[in-house]
Amino acid sequence: MKGTRVFQLTALALVVVSVVQVGWWLFDQRAYAIEKVDRARQLYAQQIQAAQALVDSGATPNSVSAMLPDVVIDGKHASLSPAVDRMLLTEKDRRIRQYAWEGGFFLLALAVCIAVIARALRAEALVRQEQESFLALVSHQFKTPLASLQLSLETMAMRPLSTDQLRTLIDRMLADLARMEAMVTQILESVRLERGRVDLRREPLELGGAVTRVLSHLEERARKERITISTDIEQGLYVLADPLALDVVVRNLVENAISAVTPVGGGTITLGARRLDGEVELSVKDTGVGFRPADGARLFEKFTRLHPGGGSSYYGTGLGLFIVRRLMQLAGGRVSAHSAGVGQGAQFVLVWPLASAEPT
Amino acid sequence: MSTPAPQIRILVVEDDPHLAAGVTENLRAEGYEVISMGDGKPALEWLRDQPCSLIVLDVMLPEMDGFTLCRTLREQGNSTPVLFLTARGDPADRVRGLEAGGDDYLAKPFHLQEFLLRVRAILRRWDWYRSSSDTPSGAVLQFAGNEVDFRAFRARAWNGVVQELTEKEAMILKVLAERPGEIVSREDLLERVWGYDVFPSTRTVDNFILRLRKRFERDPANPRHFLTVWGVGYRFLVEGES
Repeated sequence: MKGTRVFQLTALALVVVSVVQVGWWLFDQRAYAIEKVDRARQLYAQQIQAAQALVDSGATPNSVSAMLPDVVIDGKHASLSPAVDRMLLTEKDRRIRQYAWEGGFFLLALAVCIAVIARALRAEALVRQEQESFLALVSHQFKTPLASLQLSLETMAMRPLSTDQLRTLIDRMLADLARMEAMVTQILESVRLERGRVDLRREPLELGGAVTRVLSHLEERARKERITISTDIEQGLYVLADPLALDVVVRNLVENAISAVTPVGGGTITLGARRLDGEVELSVKDTGVGFRPADGARLFEKFTRLHPGGGSSYYGTGLGLFIVRRLMQLAGGRVSAHSAGVGQGAQFVLVWPLASAEPT
Repeated sequence: MSTPAPQIRILVVEDDPHLAAGVTENLRAEGYEVISMGDGKPALEWLRDQPCSLIVLDVMLPEMDGFTLCRTLREQGNSTPVLFLTARGDPADRVRGLEAGGDDYLAKPFHLQEFLLRVRAILRRWDWYRSSSDTPSGAVLQFAGNEVDFRAFRARAWNGVVQELTEKEAMILKVLAERPGEIVSREDLLERVWGYDVFPSTRTVDNFILRLRKRFERDPANPRHFLTVWGVGYRFLVEGES
């Protein structure tokens, strides 16, 4: 990495030096072309002077023209032949044009080189910066469950505890481990998605069936938290998506909704789908903690946790919605978040391309 | 483990439920009364009319972060000691926490024994400060026209200007005033006021002495009460150097 950077910087320096050199060469060649034509004009001026002297001494114009063919005699006045004058002018213009084209081409090629190298350097710096902040954020996210684990273990080592207290601590530690494992999974998933290393299928999927499948895994948790989940999805609504990705995005949104409703002591989550113009829209609406409308876009950025203290989203990594957005983008769809404000509930809307026909 | 008096009440502000439960249970096992909260805002509300001896405060909280809570408390004149617990453990963050008015700073993950030790150390320092400020002779310090009220963290300087003292300034003044005329080393001041390893350098003490001179000396450049003993520490003279 460092070697590449040194190489890039050296190349950039060489190209910049070359630009200066080409610029100087161009300037020098132009001056040379002008000087060359000027010198020719001086030589012709000597011929004109000689011709004028001959004319003044009584030589006939014809004899003078025979001796000095580039000079014309107009009565008693000698001057340079218009053809030669034109030739000199043309020669000067031709040379200057030639150097301008050649030099210009070189300069253009060098400018492209500079742009390419500068772009590579900038992109590399950006990647490095992102990696550093990603690492800082990831390690920061791990410190809290690690601290909790350490505290539980040291409590066990330091204090005499009853069986019930031990059980509580063991459950807590297992939950901390599960939390870290979920974090690792999500981090790897987000890195994979970010680098585009995913091969998503695009096939017609029945939305109602997919949503029912996801809900069947979450219903018990919702019931425990006194949350009612209702759906309003017409049968036979097909979307173009990857079956696994569809599962992940719907599960993420419903889990988030449960986490948002839990701290307010129960409520409802409503899933509704409708056909739009060439698309299918699925909305997940909850009566939970909501968020400030201004935070709607920020929610989908990496490591954004608006309510880390709110209910079961305690364990959120801040990567779930980032993954949802990326998967929706890759599926050719989109996702958006809406809330009237904190305490006002929230609505997440997923939009997929409509599948024209059922799978055969 | 020693059992402290039951009235010592500690507020734990931590948004992670497992960590909050672990810290709370351990402090309770040590005999403290513990109140636990998940965010800075309810903590600030609660502290408005509830006293406590120590706040164990997480830095990254959902709505109001720990630094803001601590700063707000100090602005409101609340001098309850604060022990920061945070995942951000780099030196710049430690300094930020102490500048916000924190008394100590512990990075996550931490050792339980060390945490409890630090809690005890902060409580001991404040216990000493409060008990010695409670006696009629210890509550007020008068010197050279200055009058310092240790309980209110307030002073009236020789020129009549009322000065609001920070807890650290008041504590340093207290340590010096308890031993008038004696040489007090920088290390001694650090140990008594900050604890063992909070600040990396004894220069911090020098800065606080400069601040005290500005507040109370008629000519801070030529101090007569807060004297430097080169290479050792400081000497406080009530009467002033003749």
